[in-house]
Amino acid sequence: MTSAIEITGLSHYYNKGTPNEVAAIKNANLRIEKGELVAIIGHTGSGKSTLISHFNGLLKPDEGKVFVDGKDIWQSKESLRESRFKVGLCFQYPEYQLFEDTVFKDIAFGPKNMKLDDEEVKRRVLRAAQLAGVKPEHLDKSPFDLSGGEKRRAAIAGVMSMQPQVLVFDEPAAGLDPHARKQLIDMIKSYREQTGCTVIFVSHSMEDVAYLADRIIVINQAEIAMQGSVSEVFSRGDELTSMGLNVPEITRIFLMLREKGYDVPKDVYTVGQAVPHIKRLMEGGRAI
Amino acid sequence: MISDITIGQYYSGNSVLHRMDARMKLILTFASIVAIFLCKNFFSLGLMVIFTVAATLLSCVPAKMVIKSLKPIIVILIFTAVLNIFYTTGGDTYFKWKFIEITEEGVNTAIFMAIRIVSLVVLSSLLTYTTTPTLLTDALERILSPLKVFKIKVHTLAMMMTLALRFIPTLIEEINRIMNAQKARGADLETGGIVARAKALIPIFIPLMISSFRRAYELAFAMTCRGYTGGEGRTRMKQMKLRVSDFIACAVVCALVGGIIALNIYFEAVI
Ligand SMILES: Nc1ncnc2c1ncn2[C@@H]1O[C@H](COP(=O)(O)OP(=O)(O)OP(=O)(O)O)[C@@H](O)[C@H]1O
Ligand SMILES: [Mg+2]
Repeated sequence: MTSAIEITGLSHYYNKGTPNEVAAIKNANLRIEKGELVAIIGHTGSGKSTLISHFNGLLKPDEGKVFVDGKDIWQSKESLRESRFKVGLCFQYPEYQLFEDTVFKDIAFGPKNMKLDDEEVKRRVLRAAQLAGVKPEHLDKSPFDLSGGEKRRAAIAGVMSMQPQVLVFDEPAAGLDPHARKQLIDMIKSYREQTGCTVIFVSHSMEDVAYLADRIIVINQAEIAMQGSVSEVFSRGDELTSMGLNVPEITRIFLMLREKGYDVPKDVYTVGQAVPHIKRLMEGGRAI
Repeated sequence: MISDITIGQYYSGNSVLHRMDARMKLILTFASIVAIFLCKNFFSLGLMVIFTVAATLLSCVPAKMVIKSLKPIIVILIFTAVLNIFYTTGGDTYFKWKFIEITEEGVNTAIFMAIRIVSLVVLSSLLTYTTTPTLLTDALERILSPLKVFKIKVHTLAMMMTLALRFIPTLIEEINRIMNAQKARGADLETGGIVARAKALIPIFIPLMISSFRRAYELAFAMTCRGYTGGEGRTRMKQMKLRVSDFIACAVVCALVGGIIALNIYFEAVI
């Protein structure tokens, strides 16, 4: 089976050939399988947004190749256009891209560009609205009358309505309050469960990463520094710290508990995993 | 791409021209541009060219940058030169074929116009290469400040210009971001006829307008919070002061204008 996205030897430079040339991503190799939920983490300016803009050909690699579903996207104009629809990219603060006079029309923008018939467009809009958690009564409203979180959902629905095989989010929960954040993260989770699509997301919240991801890609100073399962990556906490990142808070608490002599595992990454251990300790299990 | 546009094209450096008082630079640039149009024969024009070249060398701006500033006007340059060659007649005829006639006067006018346009662009880009946009608007504000007696709000105008210049790069970045977002939704900005393309701009233009208004409000609030109340009683962090070198520069430009007028009188006019 072909990978959803495969990248070989990818490098990208901004302001190439001028004194302020910066290598935003250097010699990146990665492979994302179909149906995976992958998190990309890295400190600010490490090149995450640059990397994901290559997934649907918004940026052209200076070196290296990008394959979507086994096809080199830069092979021809058609393959490039195809990649735009196969890989849906949802940028940071997507609400700033809303422009139509109703939410419905805005969500329909993508499918319309795919030249689908009205019936299919409508079907996709309704499905995307349901997946993204846009309330049905909001569909006929102006997107500018919604709250920040509702706008975000409408914008995300606008990408989902293209029914891409791969959906990429750049910091989907940035600037939301804790409650809206939780809802959004759960929305991504249920989207993956309901559609089985590949999902890639960039995040600065290690809690969200631990909660959602199957696999983590760590970017440091324009290079891919680590790749692996959640436990593989978070077990290398010291290296993460040196890259300006961290492990989830609950993991840190458990490491502290271990230092104090409590018998708890060190590979606990979410609150859900932590609950039984805490319960056990509260029932009086001071160890060793 | 859009990001190739350079406006407020300051080239940082520490040359004589960079250090000159911005007000003096602005006035002298204006004066020398007027001088370009005073030239009546090749001798005075030659003096003007020498002045332009000398100013370029003094600025320490690489020749490549100066030539780059000429790029956008190449078409105009060729167009005016060709028009002048064919349409101005007089003096000896160099070449004649049916209705096409190339004469001495035509060629002279073409050369004159070309050199004038080039010097004009070079001199004005030297001004923007060696002066930051902020200094430039600041200088403009001070030069125009006598207009206050006519109830013209010079300070407000200058502040508007400064802010507009300041936000050009921000807006370009914003446009790029919105364009990428809409392209990711399959927006097709490159193909189609004029109507289709104009329509394709709506998804870019509307979010841009909205975010610009938001930015403008935020900026206004931030300025108010920091105590901005307009030009009244506002003092400056950087005082502008004329120095000896500024007066020398002024003398040089006066000499240039004098020289051009003298050469015009002494030699026969060709244009
Ligand atoms: N349009 C651009 N022109 C020039 N340099 C850029 C541009 N976009 C990004 N860069 C530079 O490339 C590097 C990587 O930027 P990128 O946006 O990919 O980082 P990021 O990992 O997404 O950061 P963040 O977490 O803050 O979003 C940074 O050093 C940035 O300054
Ligand atoms: Mg980013």
